[in-house]
Amino acid sequence: MTKPILYALPILMAAGVAHATNYEDMAPEEILEALIDKTGSNYLNQSPQNRQMMPDNPALWLVDEGEELFYEARGPKNASLEGCDFGKGPGVLEGAYVEMPRYFADVDKVMDLEARLVHCMTTLQGFKKSDAPVKKRHGSGSDFMKLQTFISAQSNGKKWNPPLDHPQEKAMRDAGEVMFYRRAGPMDFSCQTCHGDTGKRIRASVLPNINEPEEWTKAISWPAERAGQLNVRSTQHRLRGCLWQMRHPQIIAGSDASTALISYWTDAARGQPAILPDLKR
Amino acid sequence: MLNNILKKAALAATCVGLLVGFNTAYAGGHGGKVDITKMTPEQLAEHLIFNSGGFKLEQKVQEGGVSRQRLEQDDLQKACSVTGGGAVDANTSVKVMNMARNDIKYPKGGIKLGDWKIGRELAWSGYGYRVGHRTDNHSTTKYGPGGNCYNCHQMATDRTGGNIGPVLTNYGKLRGSSDAILKYTYEVIYNPHAYFPCTNMPRIGAQNVLTEEQISHVMAYLFDPESPVNK
Ligand code: HEC
Ligand code: HEC
Repeated sequence: MTKPILYALPILMAAGVAHATNYEDMAPEEILEALIDKTGSNYLNQSPQNRQMMPDNPALWLVDEGEELFYEARGPKNASLEGCDFGKGPGVLEGAYVEMPRYFADVDKVMDLEARLVHCMTTLQGFKKSDAPVKKRHGSGSDFMKLQTFISAQSNGKKWNPPLDHPQEKAMRDAGEVMFYRRAGPMDFSCQTCHGDTGKRIRASVLPNINEPEEWTKAISWPAERAGQLNVRSTQHRLRGCLWQMRHPQIIAGSDASTALISYWTDAARGQPAILPDLKR
Repeated sequence: MLNNILKKAALAATCVGLLVGFNTAYAGGHGGKVDITKMTPEQLAEHLIFNSGGFKLEQKVQEGGVSRQRLEQDDLQKACSVTGGGAVDANTSVKVMNMARNDIKYPKGGIKLGDWKIGRELAWSGYGYRVGHRTDNHSTTKYGPGGNCYNCHQMATDRTGGNIGPVLTNYGKLRGSSDAILKYTYEVIYNPHAYFPCTNMPRIGAQNVLTEEQISHVMAYLFDPESPVNK
């Protein structure tokens, strides 16, 4: 009676192995190709030119420059960022970004990468918020984008897995969900208006659907080079851009409101591999 | 009266309960602190939006007043916000359709068609009402804020439109221009929730995205036999 089951096992296991793609060993463009093969998504597939450019993604330069900045002693306290805990212990970067936003006991709150980086640059390195390295958040030339691009690239191919064990993490994610579906402003837009269905377009741009995790992982894979802007852009920059299109007031980067939205959008990509750095339209 | 006083007292009590006596890292509205784990997701969302310094709420906006208004929901927006997505229930649909119908105002001299050439520009323009940075200045554009129709609709075929809304190509050619179809079209543009409760289409008239006159131009673009929409 037991024999047939035993014989069946290796076959099942082999099938399982063939199925479970090992994204962690893949380059960003290979992860994207694999997701396209799996889904045929128009959103993922929309720009073959961009996909061809990915091996030479300008964001890869920022990864290198960010690495140098990360380990360099800087700021009034002349410290590197190796003492910064992104959730997996001081200086541990591998897989840290796909598990953010998360609760940090030292500040008793939930932080995304942007807020955490500001925290470490101000506390460990002693920069003031008004000092250029902290203040200048946008553009490929900024320290801040270089650091973000380096830190996040250490999660390429890792599966999004933001923790929800702490009550604050759960509270932020749930409030972010309410905000995502909350209609307001002169156009009555919520995020759902443009990101709730598959294959929808604003003019020629194909929009990612938050209900399709394979699409949504690319949507939230930031920093990414924006080919149309010739700059590497952050999560917070994308969020700000969508709110601007919605005619809603400008969101403050690193604010609790932004963390809530990002907690929800990261949870929506749970289990899918991050594509970092990415290249977008 | 008494009812109102009780309601206010209850509100004040929640506010105190949420704001005082917690030692957490989250800013409260009146300089206090809040325990975010003691709030419902809705309460926390409202708190984060209005009381935690998350948005620039004091910027001037084109319609007058400040940006805070943009995040304050009216009854229709509230009714049509479904956390997690999905359709609203039948009761809400009826409520929203009635709300929308009561809201529609008609042009004094009746529904007329304006200049399709101006309508073409208005339908195409995605400009208007943007705030925060690169703020739209309505007085420096020829036709004021745009209608954003092409963001969501394919209209004529000489330009690329989105597909959040249905294709409107040959709109007048296919439907004719009887009073009934003109009225229907005006109403859909003015407040589409009268026909499609909780639709994704903005309330172009009711929310003052376009004026009555501008709507007449956009309607000409949809109906005029000379308009590229019908060619
Ligand atoms: C009016 C339509 C609209 C609304 C509403 C909207 N977005 Fe977007 N969103 C876009 C467009 C257009 C893009 C760019 C997509 C592209 O280039 O293919 C985009 C891109 C994104 C992306 C990145 C995907 C990419 O490939 O660039 C994310 C994530 C996102 N939006 C989240 C949000 C969130 C969160 C909200 C609500 C705060 C929101 N959006 C509201 C239109 C919208
Ligand atoms: C954010 C997207 C969006 C924008 C912007 C938008 N619409 Fe729509 N429109 C829709 C959707 C969605 C529908 C379908 C209604 C439904 O089923 O919810 C629709 C329906 C319509 C219809 C009815 C079509 C029919 O078959 O009866 C007309 C007419 C129309 N829109 C005209 C316009 C015009 C004119 C503008 C610009 C002034 C405009 N729309 C802007 C999304 C949009």
